[in-house]
Amino acid sequence: MAKKLKGEYFYLTANDLKTGSVVYYSKNNWSSDLTNAVKISRDNLAIYEQIAQNHEKECLIVSPFFVELDEGGEIRKMRDKIREKGITFKLNN
Amino acid sequence: MYKYTEQDKKIVKNRTKEFKFQVERRINGDLTEEEFKPLRLMNGLYLQLHAYMLRVAIPYGELSDIQLNKLAEIADKYDKGYGHFTTRQNIQFNWPKLLDVPDILSELAEVEMHAIQTSGNCIRNVSCDHLAGINSEEVEDPRPWCEIIRKWSTFHPEFSFLPRKFKIAVTGSEKDRAAIKVHDIGLKIVKKLGTIGFEVFVGGGQGRSPYVAKKINDFLEKKDLLNYLEAILSVYNELGRRDNIYKARIKILVNELGQEKIKELVDEKFEELSDKSLELNQNEINNIFNFFKLPIEKKTNSKVPIHSDKEYNHWLQQNVINHKIRGHSIVVISLKPPGKPPGDATSSQMRELSKISKDFSYGEIRVTHEQNLILPHILNSNLYELWSRLKKLGLSTPNFGLITDTICCPGLDYCALATARSIPISQKISNHFKEYSVQEKIGDLKIKISGCINACGHHHVGNIGILGLDKNGEESYQITLGGSATEKASIGQIVGPSFSTENLIPAIERILKTYEENKKKNEDFLSAFNRLGIDKFKEDLYK
Repeated sequence: MAKKLKGEYFYLTANDLKTGSVVYYSKNNWSSDLTNAVKISRDNLAIYEQIAQNHEKECLIVSPFFVELDEGGEIRKMRDKIREKGITFKLNN
Repeated sequence: MYKYTEQDKKIVKNRTKEFKFQVERRINGDLTEEEFKPLRLMNGLYLQLHAYMLRVAIPYGELSDIQLNKLAEIADKYDKGYGHFTTRQNIQFNWPKLLDVPDILSELAEVEMHAIQTSGNCIRNVSCDHLAGINSEEVEDPRPWCEIIRKWSTFHPEFSFLPRKFKIAVTGSEKDRAAIKVHDIGLKIVKKLGTIGFEVFVGGGQGRSPYVAKKINDFLEKKDLLNYLEAILSVYNELGRRDNIYKARIKILVNELGQEKIKELVDEKFEELSDKSLELNQNEINNIFNFFKLPIEKKTNSKVPIHSDKEYNHWLQQNVINHKIRGHSIVVISLKPPGKPPGDATSSQMRELSKISKDFSYGEIRVTHEQNLILPHILNSNLYELWSRLKKLGLSTPNFGLITDTICCPGLDYCALATARSIPISQKISNHFKEYSVQEKIGDLKIKISGCINACGHHHVGNIGILGLDKNGEESYQITLGGSATEKASIGQIVGPSFSTENLIPAIERILKTYEENKKKNEDFLSAFNRLGIDKFKEDLYK
């Protein structure tokens, strides 16, 4: 999970197992609100990887991974930005 | 239209119950995600970028008004009020909750629908010419053959775990509207010496290694269709690569072995199936054909209403096709209004279209692989009233076959595999070229847009193909020219270095200028490209 990551800080994210919603790991819980997300330093990745594995086993989440942050603390990749903000166009309805 | 037999109903009902139990076991922790994933995929359930996505099968793209109304209900009750029609003539819901999926499948089963074999390494939904049975140049209606293949392939025990997914398309016409030559198997119904049979093509496909299919049989007798398909699938199942996902499709096998060798292997296997247990008898064939009788039989002198409304006349010119039965028309409902996501329909549009199809088209509606809808049987005298109702729904855009009638995959806005966005590109194109007079002047032109090399947006066979790439974190778009998914199928050629989002429309404008300056009278874009060659376009584009 933590292999080949760029940068020094990360968020831990996943999808809620039952609903599929995008969630971020916050203090002791998972939240759909990024503002509550724990900023994880590279040194602590293993600890949070273990948390993700435990919560997968407990059937809380699915497909966990770390989101890379840039020097300014913003999400680095466009894919992760879209995943956080939602689709980039107005829906038909 | 086909109606489920008791056996069909039982199969779908049992599958729904089975999946409900599997979801319960997943949520209780009795199944890990690794164990559950292949089970959910067999039921069309993916986990995408933002949420789960459920792909519902629309066999050969044919829907009843009741089914369409149910899809609208599902969109409202379990999703965000819309659905997305795909290039496999299916529909996708982008936001269902895992907990709700068993209920969705149960509701679908009530109207003879399901999500079986819309994913996984099995034989997928068989696709078909959207003008099947209603165009006058057809040898025979391909829909019954699609149904015969569907029955054979559903839960086929030997072909549920193929090396990769497997797609079959069938057409009954010389003019190919089903893109059969970019399918794993393409079947073309032909008539030779008074007898109807099939030409068989194998090994076509897109993705990172695009190929046009090779013909391996000039004339297959009808009775032998399933034995022959069984032979092709058996050869593929045995020899197709399972060690490398990128080399696992039958197209790689066909192109490694060559046309003659694959034909030889299939013929040998076909001979081996000497008991011919799948041989079709005429009664079986007739029984299936009976489901597909046209709801109209009599020719009429019904006339197309004359009105001065310019938009109505543009729509008549562009989106209305002659039906094979005089006095009737086929109407294409474009799901590409300016600035809207291609292929999307809201629940209110679907609900109203369900009523419209009941009122005007004998309750029948079809999905095209180019992400539009078809009302197949419209009495000519109803055309103005129909247009008025479609206009109120925002579904009267007269752009069928024109530059804004793009095929487009969901791209990075939805898809976990995509490398760039595709829907916003389509929106830019449809806004930029929205004037009918501009589109009409350009003429027939197919733009197809994919958000990654997997080519779900069919960019390889676009007259202008657009492939979204990620270049050091920035989206860029590679252009291919000269692709075609018709009977003269061809893979587009890369024109040169890719373009930024901002420079893409000017690049398309430049390509169109080259076409405009060099075309002969009445020469369409593809013909002009084939005559001029890529160097001319390249030279103009990058000078």
